Amino acid sequence: MAPLQKRAWWGLGVGLAFTIAFVLVFFLMGGIESFDTDSNFRLIINVLWIGGLVANLVIMELTLRKPGMVDERDRMIRDRASRAQWLATIFALAAWVAVLNEVYQETGLIPAVYLYVIFMSVLIVSTLAQCLGIAIGYWRANRNA
Amino acid sequence: MPRISNQIRRLRFDHGEMTQEELAQRAGCTRQTIIALEQGKYVPSIELAFKIAQAFGVSLEEVFQYE
Repeated sequence: MAPLQKRAWWGLGVGLAFTIAFVLVFFLMGGIESFDTDSNFRLIINVLWIGGLVANLVIMELTLRKPGMVDERDRMIRDRASRAQWLATIFALAAWVAVLNEVYQETGLIPAVYLYVIFMSVLIVSTLAQCLGIAIGYWRANRNA
Repeated sequence: MPRISNQIRRLRFDHGEMTQEELAQRAGCTRQTIIALEQGKYVPSIELAFKIAQAFGVSLEEVFQYE
């Protein structure tokens, strides 16, 4: 298994664990309503998203810096996955805009917590789409004869 | 996929049974790329093709053929 392919599977695993942790913490600690009042809740959410960013940086960037770990074939697969990542991010943002607009149309006010939720969900979608894109890219490259 | 074949596997064995890892190190790519090349699942860039030929000390045409 190529180093980049291995990182993609790690990224998928960590990304899914991070997603489950985020959803569990968010709902167990009271959801949207308690975010404004509970500073511990905000702290945990901040730790989670910063931790997620750092984990993603370490898995996908820092461990692949040694020469010879990523070559032209890997870069081609990664570049193709970037397109899937970009599309997934845009679709996630579009979905948030449409849903929040529908829900809060009448009040005209969107709770600030959604800034965190949108950012974290887009981070998750982007990471998972990149890792999945790379994994599928290797699968397709190995299948094509 | 372009119809480009190669003699990498034969050349490795002609060069003292050079391992895929050794060739990958000499050519500056990963072992997985050498495996994909030998299986005809990947066509390299001109640069990598020259590096592979250089690793064997032969001309490009001796390694890659366009059919």
